[in-house]
Amino acid sequence: MSFNDSSSGNSTFFEAEEHVETKIVSVYTPIIYGALLIIYLMIFASQYRKRRIKKMAELPSIFDENEARKLYFEVKQMSEEQTVHEKVIKALLLNRGAEAIRRSFKLKELEPQINMLYKSGSIGEDYWQRYQNEVKLAEVEFKETMMEAENLQQGWAQLFVALCKEICFNQALTRRYNSIFKRKEVCIKEWQLKIDGNGRLIQ
Amino acid sequence: MTEISYDTNSKKLSSVGEPTEGLEIALGQVNTLTTALISETNPNFTPQPHEDVSKLIKNLFDSGLKNAQQNKFPEALKNVSLAIEMAQRKRAPWEAFAIQLKELQFMLRHKIDILLVLGRYLEALQDLDMLMNTGLIQPEVLIRKTDALLKLGQLDQARIECERGLTLQPQNAKLKALLMECTRKLADFNGEI
Amino acid sequence: MPQSYEYDEGSETWPFFVLTMLFVVLVPLSISQIYRLFLDRSNATEYGDPEQEKVQKILEEVNDEFVTEDVRVFRQAYEKSARSNIWSKRNIVLIVGWALVAFLIQRIRENDAIVASATGLFDPYALLGVSPSATDRDIKSAYRKLSVKFHPDKLSKDLGGEERARIEEMYVQISKAYEALTDEITKANYLTYGHPDGPQTVSHGIALPSFLVDRVASPVVILIYAVMLSIVLPYFVTKWWSRTNSFTKKGIHVKTASHFVDRLANFKPSEIVTVDLIVNWLSNAEEFKIIFPNLTAADFEELIHDHIDRTNNSRLKDPKVRFRIVSKCHSLLHGLLDLACGVRNTEIANATLETFKCIVQAVPHTPYRQILQLPNVNKEKFLEGSVDEIYTLGKLFTYEDKEIGKILGIDDEHKLKKTLTVASHIPHLKLIKADFLVPGEPQVTPSSTPHISVKFLVRSAKQKIIPPEKFPESMLEEPQDFEFQKDPFSILESQPPMPYSYAPFFPTKRRNALCCLVALQKDGKLIQTPVVIDKLSLQNLNKDFDKRQVKDLDENFKPEEWSIGTIKIPLGQPAPAETGDAFFRVIIKSTDYFTSDLDFTMTMQVRETPAQTEEKIIEYDEEDGTEDESSDDSDNDDDEEEDEDSDYTDIDTDTEVEEDAVDETK
Repeated sequence: MSFNDSSSGNSTFFEAEEHVETKIVSVYTPIIYGALLIIYLMIFASQYRKRRIKKMAELPSIFDENEARKLYFEVKQMSEEQTVHEKVIKALLLNRGAEAIRRSFKLKELEPQINMLYKSGSIGEDYWQRYQNEVKLAEVEFKETMMEAENLQQGWAQLFVALCKEICFNQALTRRYNSIFKRKEVCIKEWQLKIDGNGRLIQ
Repeated sequence: MTEISYDTNSKKLSSVGEPTEGLEIALGQVNTLTTALISETNPNFTPQPHEDVSKLIKNLFDSGLKNAQQNKFPEALKNVSLAIEMAQRKRAPWEAFAIQLKELQFMLRHKIDILLVLGRYLEALQDLDMLMNTGLIQPEVLIRKTDALLKLGQLDQARIECERGLTLQPQNAKLKALLMECTRKLADFNGEI
Repeated sequence: MPQSYEYDEGSETWPFFVLTMLFVVLVPLSISQIYRLFLDRSNATEYGDPEQEKVQKILEEVNDEFVTEDVRVFRQAYEKSARSNIWSKRNIVLIVGWALVAFLIQRIRENDAIVASATGLFDPYALLGVSPSATDRDIKSAYRKLSVKFHPDKLSKDLGGEERARIEEMYVQISKAYEALTDEITKANYLTYGHPDGPQTVSHGIALPSFLVDRVASPVVILIYAVMLSIVLPYFVTKWWSRTNSFTKKGIHVKTASHFVDRLANFKPSEIVTVDLIVNWLSNAEEFKIIFPNLTAADFEELIHDHIDRTNNSRLKDPKVRFRIVSKCHSLLHGLLDLACGVRNTEIANATLETFKCIVQAVPHTPYRQILQLPNVNKEKFLEGSVDEIYTLGKLFTYEDKEIGKILGIDDEHKLKKTLTVASHIPHLKLIKADFLVPGEPQVTPSSTPHISVKFLVRSAKQKIIPPEKFPESMLEEPQDFEFQKDPFSILESQPPMPYSYAPFFPTKRRNALCCLVALQKDGKLIQTPVVIDKLSLQNLNKDFDKRQVKDLDENFKPEEWSIGTIKIPLGQPAPAETGDAFFRVIIKSTDYFTSDLDFTMTMQVRETPAQTEEKIIEYDEEDGTEDESSDDSDNDDDEEEDEDSDYTDIDTDTEVEEDAVDETK
């Protein structure tokens, strides 16, 4: 829209010249404005980052409680007060190592699936973050157990890893084997079966 | 939080109070490892399986087979079950998994056949599930699973397993016959006239 | 050209500016609201198919009878809130917005400055009082007439100075106008600049009313600007961002999704998935905690169990609490299903759908679930008295009506009639054929993009079974025209929406849907997210074709009277690059009813050269049965990483090698 009866540019120029004090302010105004904006953004960014890190640290593990690790440290602490057989510590460490291996395998196995779910928007940002954290944690945990093994027995670390691997798989097999009884009970309940003492169906 | 107590004599760990499922499993695993470690004298032990235990298990299992050949199935079942149990208990957890798995699968297959003969279908089904869970997906396993499920009245599931078996071996005569039986029984089950 | 910036002293511009902004918001909002009010609602009730309406009517009648008072009240409240209220936020915004528009228009009309500047525009035709299409002669004569009238020399001396000046100005304008239309140069000026004198001063105004920029008010404006930029804008942006971030694309809370994935990732394959387990997972959903922050997961679990078992054991007696929890399960279960498919667990996906049925029908997952979903069934009498094993509706309908009454423990004839109506209107699916199709190709070629086409019969449990081969090939063919080839899935859209389900215990009215899962037979795992079908004609349910009366099938059966259902399932991955056979398991499950769901095996025959396209029957050479022994292993489960020997040969080497080995096996 144009105003035909507007004042000309010259007159505004003169008007501005009359208010000298406003001109002085206008030199600093952009600097102050810019400074304020930058400070504001900096505060915002640092707060945001701090909160993010705090939130990340609070994220729970994607696995259930690591009982193997917890047990190891509990008994380690206990051994300061009472004597705990060296082989018990060894057993605890092997168990911890096996769990560490199980987790890293599991994470490897989950990787493409988590990727897919994250890309399709089925899971949120925080699970993705939790997964990334877990991968790092698993690495650290694995190295830690290897170091502990080395401390316990010089030059054992290499063999320790091989043993843990076997233990990890064998434990899985045992767990599966031990679940048979419970599975049977569930089937009886779900299918409302009647089984006699010899394990045969009552028709 | 549950407290852990340590028995200096038996060198076993146990929980004070009610343990969670996870803790209970972990304690069991540690105690098994401790027992195995104590009987192990070599500090640099390897995953190499122990010959003596292998022999023990083999003998027990063989006597089970012998019983089965003489149609003494309940005794055979007892022997084979015991052999499996021993493999689970006597073997150290670090003994080569590949060997342990093969051994278990082999014994389970025979146990399943005995269970099926004895009409203990539910137990057979659990052992079959276990076999399949360990990656043993074969027409022979699926034939037995279909059979057990049919006997247990789980017709829909039986048909599903049977079809899966046929994808492994489309010409398997037994599976084809079982599929027909499934279809027939399902038609009756669903009142399809 | 002189330029100047100035504030809107005469309030000439800013009303237009505000008006434009208002229109930008109001016009799309109004259109969408009108669409919602009129088009959407009519869409929801119209099936465009009288047969489907008939099914709906029958089911609705029975449904209404069995809905309890509590559920009815809840549904009414729910529908009221769902339907757009006149005083909803949206409508208020619209009303205020349009009122503002009216006010602004009024203001613009009353504003002299605007009118002046509008009239100040130079229009030579208007000045001469001729139409733009006038000829030169007309213009000349009009000018002559006017110039005589307004010529300064001809003015009477009595006129005041002001009046005289006005008329003189008018005369000048008229002359200019005449020149503009006749003189070449002025005309050119007029055409380029809109004024016969050449370019005019153009001024750029800032569309802020002057009172805002006055010295007193200016700090306030700056303050408002600062607050807007540094507080209000970030606040709303973060709020919007966190809201979009707190729900997944599947509509469940991210925390719920995280919880579900946790459970799926920690799930032990040694466990059998049961409905109870799924309910336990559901009860930890964040959604419940948001609605009822004071209650615990144990409370929610008990409430869902109460609903399924139709009991009232929970300490929370308010039915509204229970209804809100139960109705929320719908989206949670869909979310869980999606995630279960994401981690490829067939067992859990299946159990999720079974749980869905249990919750919709309020029937526990017992072997007798098909019967117990019917109304009026006397549970004790039925379970005690059953001589024959009756688990299915189909089996039930092999008995005469009277006998059924006895079996189910229903004495009242009217009640029995209702029960049988429900029983015969629960859709059962019967597979006719299923193929992998590639549009425009006679068979599946390597690396092509096939989809699954399933042809089936929707039938009632009461109807006589019709073998698939009774339907002529012509009825099962798909259109071959270009339109269809372009979008083979359009066939799904042509179906009417499914009618409301018989589900009197579910807190809201709901429609049945079919969830289609696809798994690989090789490893038994799902390969893609579920496809949900919510449109399907159930017209076959209206046919009597009673299996107890129809003795001779061929005599009474006319294939053209039956409608054949089609489901198209897109495959998430292309066909294998090599020729050969791949086996798939396809599961099509109803979300609402315990009925005969479809679960079948399909063979994808990937062939290079044109060959036979029949894919239903498994037929070819014997395969090495033991080959599969090694094919699948570790990825079965979370902790059973047992592998074939090859993995253990390099047992003493570095872990990385072993990890690679595990990768290979996947």
